[in-house]
Amino acid sequence: MVFDTLVAEFPYLLHGLWIGIQLLAGLLAMGLVMGLTLSVMSTFGHWSLRLFAVIFERIFRGIPEIVLLLLFFYGVGELIPMSPFVAAVIALGLRSTAYQAQIFRGAIQSVADGEVMAARALGMSRLATIRLVVLPQALRRSIGPWTNEYSSELKATSLAYVIGVVELTRQASYIVSNLQGNTLTVFAVVAAMYFIVNRLGNAGLYALERKLAIPGFEGRGSES
Amino acid sequence: MSDTPILSVCDVRKTYGGVEVLKGVSFDLARGESKIVIGPSGTGKSTLLRCINLLSPPDGGIVTLDGVRIEEKNINQIRAQIGFVFQEFNLFTHLRVLDNVRLAQRNVLGRSRQEATRRAQKELERVGLADKFDAYPAELSGGQKQRASIARALAMDPKLILFDEPTSALDPELTGEVVQVMKDLANAGMTMLVVSHEMSFAKAAADEVIFMEGGVIVEQGPPDRMFSHPEQARTSQFLQMITHDHQYA
Repeated sequence: MVFDTLVAEFPYLLHGLWIGIQLLAGLLAMGLVMGLTLSVMSTFGHWSLRLFAVIFERIFRGIPEIVLLLLFFYGVGELIPMSPFVAAVIALGLRSTAYQAQIFRGAIQSVADGEVMAARALGMSRLATIRLVVLPQALRRSIGPWTNEYSSELKATSLAYVIGVVELTRQASYIVSNLQGNTLTVFAVVAAMYFIVNRLGNAGLYALERKLAIPGFEGRGSES
Repeated sequence: MSDTPILSVCDVRKTYGGVEVLKGVSFDLARGESKIVIGPSGTGKSTLLRCINLLSPPDGGIVTLDGVRIEEKNINQIRAQIGFVFQEFNLFTHLRVLDNVRLAQRNVLGRSRQEATRRAQKELERVGLADKFDAYPAELSGGQKQRASIARALAMDPKLILFDEPTSALDPELTGEVVQVMKDLANAGMTMLVVSHEMSFAKAAADEVIFMEGGVIVEQGPPDRMFSHPEQARTSQFLQMITHDHQYA
């Protein structure tokens, strides 16, 4: 009985998962672009840019995700109307920006000062040095820590449920209310779906890390 | 010398955290000349090199390259004309040897990929790394790394090359190959300013030895005279120490 319904409803779960993945892709992409910018600003920028970066990170790492979602959808949304999906991308994306900025900043600082000096001594500008010497190395070193961010943001997409984004968790709750019970089975399936996406994503990221590893350096081994 | 010096250093001063590291250093370097700077550690030799290309801007004094004063404006153009070889090599970890030598040619000099490749190959062959084009820095020995970094400097067609203790991070058996490359360069007419205690280079290839101590030039002169009968007692004392105690060099 339950399984018949589950099979029948599975396309809805898949659709919910697809929305969740889109949300994840959107917020991670936003966090990547803005986090990278913020990390470069806070490492190489004027003190005022550094201050801005620090304040931004403190704020968005210090507020619960669910509060951010409510704040953007009901609060900011009142001034600038936006769909639940857009509000979720922005709210979670800003938070991800703060976390990703920290990942990238650590990786940038791990690039040897001597290489930066060598690039400058060859006549390369600050910007060219960042682009051609610092970031190619820093981004490689960010992949490992970035897998954490991927995992935690995937799970955070389920919170978009509270502002009405019809993603996987919300689809599941619809099915549960239709079935009147069987919560365990439905949410077990949903849990498995999150788990699989998480594993696949991490496996892909580790494969990327191995592919981009610089020969001659100790790799991360056979983690995947 | 009738020729105007390619590099002129005039009264350069530098203070670090309240300590005056350079107390007014002046000397000239003529085209094709190579000078070696020696002296105890902490006397500002490396700082002097960094003050020349403003990696560490001096607090006072004037440095001119080929008659042009070296200042913050246009510094990238100036730096492109001054090779710099570091003690720690500082090759770009993520790039193959060939790309290490091509990068600034492409980015700073705007050379075509083809031209940059041709020059990179030529300079790498010159330093004996013809079989290492595709290696990554981490796959090279220390001596090979340093030779690659010399090729990287050479490919920019520099007016002079500054060497900052180029053999100090190498095992003794690897210094020879680097010193040989440097001797060849000096004999081929490259203008060089070398901070090093490599006496074999000083004797075989340097036109002049500069002895620095305490942030000033104590004495300078041709290697023959400096090694056989230096004028200052301090110079002879120091030279005796580094020639007799090989560990120090």
